Amino acid sequence: MTRPARPNGAPLLARAALALYPPSWRTRYEDEVLALLDDSGGRLSAVASIALRALPAWFSPPRHLHDRPARVRASLATVLLSSSMLAGLGLVFAQLTQFQGFTAPSHPAIGWAYSVFDIALAVSALVAGLGGLPLWLLMLRRARREQRFRDLVYLLSPVIAPVAYLAGLIATTRLAGGAQGVSTGWFGVITLAGFAAAATAAAGPGLALRRLQPRGPALRLAATAAGVSAAVMAAAAVAIVVAVTGLCLWVPAFAGYHSAMIPAIYLALVIVAATVTTVSAVRGTRAARSL
Amino acid sequence: MTDRLDRWADPPLLVLASLADEPKHGYAITQDVAETMGVRISAGTLYAVIARLESRGLIEPLESEDRRRPYRITMAGAEVLAQESERMSKVAAVARERLGHRLGWAGA
Repeated sequence: MTRPARPNGAPLLARAALALYPPSWRTRYEDEVLALLDDSGGRLSAVASIALRALPAWFSPPRHLHDRPARVRASLATVLLSSSMLAGLGLVFAQLTQFQGFTAPSHPAIGWAYSVFDIALAVSALVAGLGGLPLWLLMLRRARREQRFRDLVYLLSPVIAPVAYLAGLIATTRLAGGAQGVSTGWFGVITLAGFAAAATAAAGPGLALRRLQPRGPALRLAATAAGVSAAVMAAAAVAIVVAVTGLCLWVPAFAGYHSAMIPAIYLALVIVAATVTTVSAVRGTRAARSL
Repeated sequence: MTDRLDRWADPPLLVLASLADEPKHGYAITQDVAETMGVRISAGTLYAVIARLESRGLIEPLESEDRRRPYRITMAGAEVLAQESERMSKVAAVARERLGHRLGWAGA
């Protein structure tokens, strides 16, 4: 389907509202909606109504706009990446508060939040691992059989990246660490390297999914597991929010240690990661139901 | 009064009813629904409904030389509209009858 030329004077707000929609929806309907807004005078209420309908379009995209297995694969890749980032954010928070000496939170809600996060992370990883294993093995077998070396590397990245990171971590703490542990600068380096390793480990299978395009029951099982795993990670995200808010409210030393801006940015990142994880998991699970 | 009708209206049905006589593009549908049925459909609601009806095969897009793509009701869409119209007629008949009994409403 060829896309007609766009008008030059389309209102910026209308384009911003349409940018909230999934790409496939925009490709199909964006020009028509802009034409409707042009015809009707482009009132603010009309633009607001478009923005309000964007989230349902992500949760429940129209069937005719997608190849369902492709949507499941894309959702799986996104959930892998965003939930890894969410886990990383939570782990950094736990490490950082211990590093800064906030090991004994004074309010029970904070202690509970730490426990909920630990349990949720473990359960989520277990469910995702068990549910995704058949699909991973299926792709691994195919990549080996067809001698697709790049895909083999992508598929093995969840093993290679953490091992490389741990080796680097051990070497760094031995070389740069003192009696008090590593310096703040090295802690930052280690943290960023951890995020890079997590992103690499999660992105590898996502790329393999896109290239190998698997279908069938293993894909459906992985999507279901990703849905359960994402739901558990949502609980972990709530725990992070409770812990950070609790430390700011009830632990004066923590509030005094940071400016309010840092926890605010951190919480915004957590909420974005949790939202992306949840929306992608819902999309994938819904699409997997009719595979 | 119009706002209350808007809230209770069934947008998919309104769009199907609007397309029952001839194909229309988005703006023409909103104008037709407002003029003939007294209900305003927002741009966001209209395209959510169009996407849903199209995915269920109840309407289909036609080729267009500009950005205003017209839509046509399909046979399946016409059947759904006929069934829903029948159901609504029954509801309206019951409502008129009961209002007539209770209030002596002359519209029955």
